[in-house]
Amino acid sequence: MNKFKKILFIGVTLTLLVSCKKYLDVIPDNIATIDYAFSMRSTAERYLFTCYSWLPAHASFSANPGFLAGDELVCLSTNTIDSWAITRGQQNVLDPLLNYWDGGKSGKALYQGIRDCNIFLENISRVPDMQPEEKDRWIGEVKFLKAYYHFWLMRMYGPIPIIRENLPIDATIDQVKAYREPIDSCVDYVVQLLDEAGAVLPDVIESESSELGRVSKSIALALKAYVLVTAASPLFNGNADYPNLIGKNGEPLFNPQASSEKWQKALTACTEAIDLCETVGFSLYTYATGIGQTAISDTTKIQMGLRNAVSERINKEVIWSNTNSLIDQVALTPRSWDPSRVHSSMSGRYGPPLKMVELFYSDNGVPINEDKTWKYAERFELRKAEHVDRYDIKEGYTTIGLHFNRENRFYASVGFDGGIWYGQGRTDENNAFYIMSKSGQAANIYTLAYYSATSYWPKKLINTQNVIEAASYTVRWYGWPVIRLADLYLLHAEAANEVNGPVAETFKYIDKVRERAGLQPVLESWKNYSSQPSKPTTKEGLREIIQQERSIELAFEGQRYWDLRRWKTALEELNTTFKGWDNFQSNAAAFYRPVSLLQRSFLQRDYWWPIKEESLLKNNNLLQNPGW
Amino acid sequence: MINYGFSLGDEPKRPKEEINQLLRIMKLLSLLLLWSCLHLSAGTLAQTISLQVKEQPLATVLKAIEKQSGYHILYNDQYIDAHVRVSLQAENRPLEEVLDRLLTPQSLTFLIKEKNIAIRRLLAEHRQKESATIMTQQRLISGNVTDEHGSPLAGVTVAVKHTSIQVMTDVNGKFQLKLEGEGQVLIFSAVGFVPEEVSLKNETTVDVTLRTSTDDLDEVVVVGFGTQKRTDMIGSVVSVKPTDLKVPSSNLTTAFAGRVAGMIAYQRSGEPGLDNADFFIRGVTTFGYKVDPLILIDNVEVTTTDLARLQVDDLASFSIMKDATATAIYGARGANGVILVTTKKGEQGKTKLSFRLENSFSSPTRNVELADPVTYMKLNNEAILTRDRTAAIQYPLSQIGNTVPGADPYLYPAVDWRKELIKDYTSNQRANLSISGGGKAARYYVSGAFNQDNGVLKVPEKSNFNNNINLKTYSLRANVDMDLTRTTQFIVRLNGSFDDYNGPVDGGTSIYRKIMRTSPTLFAPYYPAGESYRLVNHILFGNAESGNYLNPYADLVKGYKESSRSMMLAQLELKQDLSFITKGLSFRSLANTTRNAFFDVSRQYRPFFYELSNINPLTNEYNLQILNENDGTEYLDYGEGTKTINTVFYMENAFNYSRTFADKHNLSGLVVLTLRNRLDGNAGSLQTSLPYRNMGVSGRLTYSYNTRYFAEFNFGYNGSERFHISKRYGFFPSAGLAWSVSNEKFWEPFKETVSNLRLRATYGVVGNDAIGSGRFLYLSEVNMNASNRGAVFGTDRTYSKDGISMVRYANSDITWERAYKSNFALELGLFNKVQLMAEYFEENRTDILMARADIPSTVGLTTTVDANLGEAKAKGVDISIDYNCNFGEGFWLQSRGNFTYATSKYTVFEEPTYQEPWLSHIGQNLSQQWGYIAERLFIDEQDVANSPSQAFGTVPVMGGDIKYRDVNRDGKISSLDRVPIGYPTTPKIVYGFGFSLGYKNFDFSSFFQGSMQSSFWIDPQATAPFVSYTYSNEDLGGAKTQNQLLKAYADSHWSEDNRDLYALWPRLSNVNVSSNEQRSTWFMRNGAFLRVKQVEFGYTLPHRLTQRLKMGNFRIYANGTNLFTISGFKLWDVEMAGNGLGYPIQRVFNIGINASF
Repeated sequence: MNKFKKILFIGVTLTLLVSCKKYLDVIPDNIATIDYAFSMRSTAERYLFTCYSWLPAHASFSANPGFLAGDELVCLSTNTIDSWAITRGQQNVLDPLLNYWDGGKSGKALYQGIRDCNIFLENISRVPDMQPEEKDRWIGEVKFLKAYYHFWLMRMYGPIPIIRENLPIDATIDQVKAYREPIDSCVDYVVQLLDEAGAVLPDVIESESSELGRVSKSIALALKAYVLVTAASPLFNGNADYPNLIGKNGEPLFNPQASSEKWQKALTACTEAIDLCETVGFSLYTYATGIGQTAISDTTKIQMGLRNAVSERINKEVIWSNTNSLIDQVALTPRSWDPSRVHSSMSGRYGPPLKMVELFYSDNGVPINEDKTWKYAERFELRKAEHVDRYDIKEGYTTIGLHFNRENRFYASVGFDGGIWYGQGRTDENNAFYIMSKSGQAANIYTLAYYSATSYWPKKLINTQNVIEAASYTVRWYGWPVIRLADLYLLHAEAANEVNGPVAETFKYIDKVRERAGLQPVLESWKNYSSQPSKPTTKEGLREIIQQERSIELAFEGQRYWDLRRWKTALEELNTTFKGWDNFQSNAAAFYRPVSLLQRSFLQRDYWWPIKEESLLKNNNLLQNPGW
Repeated sequence: MINYGFSLGDEPKRPKEEINQLLRIMKLLSLLLLWSCLHLSAGTLAQTISLQVKEQPLATVLKAIEKQSGYHILYNDQYIDAHVRVSLQAENRPLEEVLDRLLTPQSLTFLIKEKNIAIRRLLAEHRQKESATIMTQQRLISGNVTDEHGSPLAGVTVAVKHTSIQVMTDVNGKFQLKLEGEGQVLIFSAVGFVPEEVSLKNETTVDVTLRTSTDDLDEVVVVGFGTQKRTDMIGSVVSVKPTDLKVPSSNLTTAFAGRVAGMIAYQRSGEPGLDNADFFIRGVTTFGYKVDPLILIDNVEVTTTDLARLQVDDLASFSIMKDATATAIYGARGANGVILVTTKKGEQGKTKLSFRLENSFSSPTRNVELADPVTYMKLNNEAILTRDRTAAIQYPLSQIGNTVPGADPYLYPAVDWRKELIKDYTSNQRANLSISGGGKAARYYVSGAFNQDNGVLKVPEKSNFNNNINLKTYSLRANVDMDLTRTTQFIVRLNGSFDDYNGPVDGGTSIYRKIMRTSPTLFAPYYPAGESYRLVNHILFGNAESGNYLNPYADLVKGYKESSRSMMLAQLELKQDLSFITKGLSFRSLANTTRNAFFDVSRQYRPFFYELSNINPLTNEYNLQILNENDGTEYLDYGEGTKTINTVFYMENAFNYSRTFADKHNLSGLVVLTLRNRLDGNAGSLQTSLPYRNMGVSGRLTYSYNTRYFAEFNFGYNGSERFHISKRYGFFPSAGLAWSVSNEKFWEPFKETVSNLRLRATYGVVGNDAIGSGRFLYLSEVNMNASNRGAVFGTDRTYSKDGISMVRYANSDITWERAYKSNFALELGLFNKVQLMAEYFEENRTDILMARADIPSTVGLTTTVDANLGEAKAKGVDISIDYNCNFGEGFWLQSRGNFTYATSKYTVFEEPTYQEPWLSHIGQNLSQQWGYIAERLFIDEQDVANSPSQAFGTVPVMGGDIKYRDVNRDGKISSLDRVPIGYPTTPKIVYGFGFSLGYKNFDFSSFFQGSMQSSFWIDPQATAPFVSYTYSNEDLGGAKTQNQLLKAYADSHWSEDNRDLYALWPRLSNVNVSSNEQRSTWFMRNGAFLRVKQVEFGYTLPHRLTQRLKMGNFRIYANGTNLFTISGFKLWDVEMAGNGLGYPIQRVFNIGINASF
C-alpha cells in the first residue's frame, strides 16, 4: 500500500513538471512583425503608403506655416493654432511650434518618416510577388519622399543631419548622435536622391483615377528645380550671417561665398523640368465655358481660369497634387455671399490683410504705386461702382478706390465688400453673387469666435462650384497643388534673371503667366504705365518685378512665406502691422477705416527654426540655430 | 456540543460515526449556504435537569435523567458499577453540570454526542487522585476567561500549579475545577496570550482576562506557502493583528497608514469606491512599472480593490513580507514586498454566531474655503484691469452693488455651488455576520457582510434620479475544512465580493472639481418655471452665452451612472500527511479560480439652458431665453462604459517536511510548484489577448539548533511568459541567519531584564516581472492597419490603404527587475513587557526597465525603446515597539508605536549628459521633483526688465508675477534652471502610535498617525482664479469653465495697491499666466502631518448579563476617525496633497455593536 502511494505521488509530480514544460509558450505563430510587411505585394504597398503618410499636410492652416506664419493671411488674435502662434511671437526652444524635427505642435516627426523610407528601401527587394519594374517605381517614389522630407527640414532648419541609412535599434549612444551637415551637402544629397528617383519614375501618372497624388518624374524634376532655386537663393547661397555656425566636427555649415554656379544649375533644372512637363501635357489652365452655360465675358473667363488653376482638381496645370491634404474651405468661405442663406456652416476666419490687397497690380499690370494712371493717393476714398466695373464690383455699390481698376488676379484671388463672386451655383454673370460685409450684412460677424478680421477672403482657394444651400454648404474638394506650372515658370524667370539678366529668354515664362492673367508683357506694361519704365531692364529691377509677380500669382498658396525667407527679405516684409477694415461698423465711411490688428515682428533668428532644447541635451553634437 | 471535560485519551472513533458526523455537517452547511436560517439558534443547548435524590442507585438516577432530558445514556456494566448509591440535589441545573456532579465523585466521566451520553471511566491515575480528594474537603472553582476586549476565550488551559490537574475553557470561556485545600495557584495559558497566574484563597469564582502576547514562544506567523513560529523567524515578516486594522470604513486599505512597521501609505481621496490608499512596502524602490506589493489572499493573487473589500472580521492573519528571505520564495513577483492574508477557518466546537453592526456619519475633514460672490466679482474685474487697462470688465459695478446674497437669486445670482450640491454629512452602514463551528470531521466558517457607503452629494428636489453616490458592497465567504481520513484534509473556500454603485454620471470627484470651476455670479443653477414656461417639462437650468458654460447642478441632476463589480473565487485545497513515507513529510495541493467582472452604464438627458433676457432694470422683471433649443433633450440617452472580464486560474502543489532530531536539531523543508494563468476577455489587441502565465518551483530549507542558532535558505525558480525564451526563467535565492542570544546559557542572569534578545540578518535576490504595461516586450509589435499612417490617391480619392506602424521594437534581452535585498534586525524584549523590533534594510534594484532617454529624434524611432538599464538604491529602517501591562484589578494598558523610514535614489538612469549637474537624476530620490526656485514676486515692470528673461507662454510677465532664480546664470530662465526642489512626493517617514486601555468592562483606545518628509504642490492652474481650466484626460464636451476664487487667495494676493512681494498668490489675471504656473518652490508645501486617526470607546456587557441573554459576548462601541490634524497647511486636508480640489477625505463618527452567541 505504502509503496503504491509513494509511486503514485512521485508519478503525479513528475507528470506535472513535464506537462508544464511548454506552459509558458503562449505566443502563437504568425504574430505580426515587421517581416510580414514585406512578405507580399499588398502589405508592401501599405508600407509605401506609410512612407507617403509623412508628407506634411500642405493644406493645413496649422501645419503649413505658409498660410498663417507669414503675411498672406491673418485670423483673430484669439485663435490658438500653432502656425498663428508663430506670428504672435510664441516660437520657443522648450516646445517649438511646428516641430518637424521631433514631431509636435502640428509638426510631423519627419525623421521618423525618413526612417520608414529607409526601412522600405532596405526591404522592398524581399517582396516575392512583384515585377522588377514596379519595384523600381516604388523605390523611386520612396527616394523622392526621402528627399522631400530632408528638403522640408533643410528649408526650416538650414543645415541638418542627413540620414542616409538607418541605425540599428541597439546602436551605441555615440553612433546615434548625428551631426548637422553643411547646407551644401544637404542640397547635394537631396538632389542626388531626386536624380535617382527621376531615373526610375514614370514621366507622368498614367491612371490618375487611382494614382493621382503619387509621384512621377515630372514632380521629381519640378521639385529638383525648386530645391536648386532655393539653394541658389541668398539665404542658402553665400549667406555670411553665420560665420560662427560651425559644425561640432569642425565644418562651417554655411559657405559665405556666393556661387553663381548654383543659379546656373537651378536654371538648367528649371528648363529640364518645364520641358518634360510641357512634353507630357502640362499647360497653364484656361477656363472653357461649360456645357449649357451662357456665354460669359472675357473678364469673368480669365478670372475663372485663375481660380480654377488652383481649386479645380482635374487640372492640367497642377504638377503635384497632394490628395492627402485638402484645404478646409469652410474656414475660408465668407459667412455668405447669399443674404438669404446665412448659417453656421461657413466660418470664413482666415482673411488677407490690407497689405496683400495692395500687392496686386493695377489693371495695367504694374504695381499700384507705380501706375501713372492709377489714383494711388485716393485709394482709401469711397467710390461707387459703375456699369463698367460690373464684372468685378457690384454696380452701384459703394466701396473704396483700392478695389477699382485692379488686375484680374486681384478679383480672382480676393473676396471683398462689394466684390462680385461669380459661380457658386449661379451661372448668369449679370446676376452673380457679391459680398456685403459691413456690420449687419450677410458676410459680417456671425459669432465673435469666427469672422474674417480684415473683412477680406482668399477667394481663389474656394472652389467655384461650392454652393451654399439653405442649411448646409456643399464643398468640392481638391488635392492641394504643391507645385503647379506657373510656379515652375516663375522659378525659371527668377533663375534666368540671376544667370543672364533681363534678356528676352528671361521674360519668356513670366510673360506667359501674365498673359494668362490678361496682362501685357512686363516690358510693355512698364514702358507704358510705370513711373519707373526702365525697372525691368536691370537685373535688380527685374528681380523685384519677378518677386512681386510670384507673390501675386501664387498668393495664398503658402509659397510667399518660404520665398520671403529665401530672398532674405523677411526682415523687411514680415515686420509689419496687419490691418483690415472695421468689422463693427455698418456705414461705409466708418467701415473703411484701416484698423490695426497685430504688430507682427520677425527677428533675424526667425530665419531658422529653433531646435528643441531637449534634443540638444540628448545629442550634444547638435548645434542650436543662431539666436535661439 | 462537545464537552471539554477532563482531558482524556479518547478512543479512536469508528468510521461510521465519522461519516455520520460528516453528513450532518454537510447538511448544516448547505442550510447555511442557502442563507435562509441565520438564526440557527443555539438555545436548545441549555438542557436543564431538576433532581432531588438521596442514596439512590446510580442506574435509577441515570434513568431519571434520561427521562427528563430525552437523552440516551450509554454505559457498559462491565466497567461501571451502576448500583452504587448516590445523592444529588439540583434545581434547573444544566445537564452537564448535573452529570458532572453526579459522575466525577465516582471517577467517571461522560461525553455528549448529539442525543447520546456515553459514560466512561477516568484513567486509573486520575481516579486514584480523584478518589483521594474525595476524602477531603472539595470545592468547586469556576470562572470566565476573556480577552482584553471582553470576548470569551475558548481553549484556554487552566492548570493547577505543581499538579497534573488541568481543564480547558469551553466556547463561552468558562471553566470548572474541583480543588481541595487552600493556597493553590492556577495558571491560565493559551497560544497567543500572556500566561496569567492566580493565587487562590477561598474564592469559588475566578475571572481572568488574558492579554494578547506579542512575543509568545508558540506564536505562529503566516509566511510564504506556510507558517513559522515567531521565535524561529529569520526573514522580515510583520504580522498585524487583524483587529488592529478595524476602522469604521468599508475600505481596509485606509487602515494601513502608521499601523504597519515598514509600510508607507497615504490616502488621497475620500470618494466611496475610489478611496483606496496608496501603499508601498518599505517605500518605492523602483522607477519601473509596478511599484506596489504583491497581494495574496489565501495564497491567491488579488487586486488592491479585492483587498480593500476584505472584512476584518474574516481575517485570521495579516502578514507583510519585506526582505529577501521572506519574499524570494515568490521569485519574480516578490520584489516589491508581499502582503499575505489568510481568512478564518472553522474551529471545532459548538456553533458560534457573531455579528457586528455599525452606523457611521462622515463629513469632509476640511472643505476648501471660497471667497464670497461680491469679492469674486470685484477681484475678477481687478484681474482683467490689472493686466490690461483698456479691457472690458466682466461684472458691471451695478451688478456688484446689487449682489447682496439672497437679494434676487436670479437677476443677481450669488450661488454657493457647494451648498447647492453637497451635504454637510452622510451616514453609512455596515453589517457583518459570521457563523462558525463544526466537529472533529469538518469545520466551517461562513460569513457575510454588507456595507453601504453614501456620498455627500445632495439629491436636489428637482432631480428625477438618485444622483448621490451609493456604493453597496456585499461579500460572502464560506470556508470548510474536512478531515477525509486521519491524514487527509480537504478544504473548500468560496468567496464572492460584489459592488453595486449608483452615482453621478461622471463621479463624485468630478462634481467637486466642477464646483471649483463655476463662477458663483454668472447664472443661477436653475430658474423657476414662471407662467410662460408652466407647460415645459424640463428643468430650466441657468447658463450664459450660448449655453456652453459648466453648470455643475445640471451635470449632477441630468442623469446617473450604475456600475457593478463582481469577484468570485472558488478554491479547493487538499492536505495529505505523508508520515507513512517518512516522518514529518506532508503534501498540499491547492487549486483556485477567480472570476472578475465589471461594467457600468450611464443614463442621462441633455439639459436645457436658459438665460435672462429683456431685463427691466426698474421693475426687475425679466424673460427667460432658451440657449440650446436644438441641443437639449427631455428624454434619456444612455452610454455604456468599459467592461472588464477576466479569469484567473492558480494552482500550487507543495511538499513540506518538518522534523526534530535529537530534540535539538530542527529541520524543515518545503518545495512548491506554482502555476498561474490569467485571461482577459476584452484585452483590446492580439498580444494582450494571449494568456498571462507564470510557473515556478520554490523552496525553503530551515535549520535550527537548540533554539539558539537558526539558518534559512529560500529560492524561487520562476518563469514568466512575458520574456524571450532565453530569459524566461530566473533563479532567486536568499539566505538568512539568526541568533537568539537570550536563549544562550550565559544569558540566564540577564533574562529577567532582557527577556529576549535576537539578531537576524538576511540577504537575497527577488524579482519583479511586472515591468511594463505592454506584453511580450521582447517581441516587436506592428500595427498592420495603422489608419494614421495610411494614404489616399486618385482623382476621386478612392484608392486608399492603411499603413503600417511600429508599436514596439523587438528587444530579446528584456527581462525582470532584480532586487538585491539585505536586512538586519534586532529583537529586544524587556521585563517581559516591552517588545522592540528594529530593522535596517538596504536594497539595490537593478535592471529597471526604462525608455532609452538619449536616443535623438534623428534616429527616427516611432516609439521609445525600452531596456533594462535603470538602477536604484533604497534603504531605511522600520521600528516597532510594544508595551503591555496589566495592573491588576481589571485595569490594563497596551500601547505600541511604529516608525518607518524609507528613502531611495537613482543610481543608474539613462539621461542626457547635462552641463548642469542639478538636472541629473542620479542620487536623487525616486519621487524627487524638479522645479524653479521662486525668489519673490516682481516689484514692477522695471524689476522684470532688469531680471533674467522669463519667456513662458504669451502673457507678458509683469510686476507681481513670480520671479525665478537664474541658476545657471545664462541670463534667461529656461528648463536648465530647474533644480531638485523639496522632499519627494512619497513620504519618507510614516509613523503611528497608540494605546488601548481597559478597566473592567470599559475600554478606550486612541491611535495617532503621521507622515513626514514629503512635498506636494498646490496646482497653480486648477486653483488660478477666473481662468479656464480643464484637467488632463477630462472631457467636458467643450464646456467653458471659470475657476472659483479661493478665500486664501482673495485674502493674500499681489495687487497694485498692496504690493506684497511674498503674497500667497501673484498678480491676478483672467487668463493663464504660464510664467506663474511653472513647477516652482512658490507653490510647494510640506506634506508633513500628525493626525488623530482613531479614538474608540467601548463597553462590554458583564458576563453574567450576557449569559442570561444566552450570548457569548456583547460589546457596544463608538469611535471616530480623522478627528484632528496638526499640519502647517490649511487650505484642505493635507493628506490629499496636490489633489485638494477633489472629493475630500472624510471624518467619520461611528457607533457599533459586536455580539456573539
